[in-house]
Amino acid sequence: MTVAEERIERLHDLARAAASDGEDDRAREYVRLARRIAERNRLSLPRPFTRFTCDACDAYLRPGVNARVRLRRGHVVITCDCGHQKRYPYDR
Amino acid sequence: MALTPETLVRHELNGLPVRVVESDDSSREGLSGRVVLETTNTLSVEVRESPEATRDAESSHGHDEFRVVTVPKSGSTFEFAITDEAAGDEKSLGTTSELADTQPGFDTTDTDCAGDGVAYVTVDGSRLLSRPARRTETTGDSPWQ
Repeated sequence: MTVAEERIERLHDLARAAASDGEDDRAREYVRLARRIAERNRLSLPRPFTRFTCDACDAYLRPGVNARVRLRRGHVVITCDCGHQKRYPYDR
Repeated sequence: MALTPETLVRHELNGLPVRVVESDDSSREGLSGRVVLETTNTLSVEVRESPEATRDAESSHGHDEFRVVTVPKSGSTFEFAITDEAAGDEKSLGTTSELADTQPGFDTTDTDCAGDGVAYVTVDGSRLLSRPARRTETTGDSPWQ
């Protein structure tokens, strides 16, 4: 495991902790830094990271707090407070 | 590549417990807290202040107050506390002096192992002068070119 991969993991944990403490802007900075490290080191972000962050405003999403999760036929729709929607499929 | 004293300058600093050992500004010396934000030239340290210590803070209502202090990297010396399994392994290998002897090229960082698997790493702030994402990359040309 390289340093870059570890930094992304650490930043994911930090972003989640900051978001649960109500420090939304701080969580946003951690998400942005993790994305920047991933793109500079040509790594793909871990799946929990992509699922729980907003692509538009970089917020760390906490379902029920700053994100709405609704099930549609064959896919999940997560709506951030900024209005951006993210979809991913599920197997029935 | 776990977070060890050797990889600390390339690793994530956010979230680590830190103490400002030396600083050009004497009022910043001795600050201890947690790194919450890193920029190219500064580290922001969240300092916990108990309500007894801050009598001037009128909003103290029994809880600890948190204050974020921005410390410039240049002209400061930081002491990071590393608590993980890697530090514990090194502690079991030998004493502090042996560890320092067996690490070549240890000019700007020195390790000070205390109990409970905590390693204290002292880093000169000028060693950290870089954009946060750039620090991880190995110097020179891009590895994929």
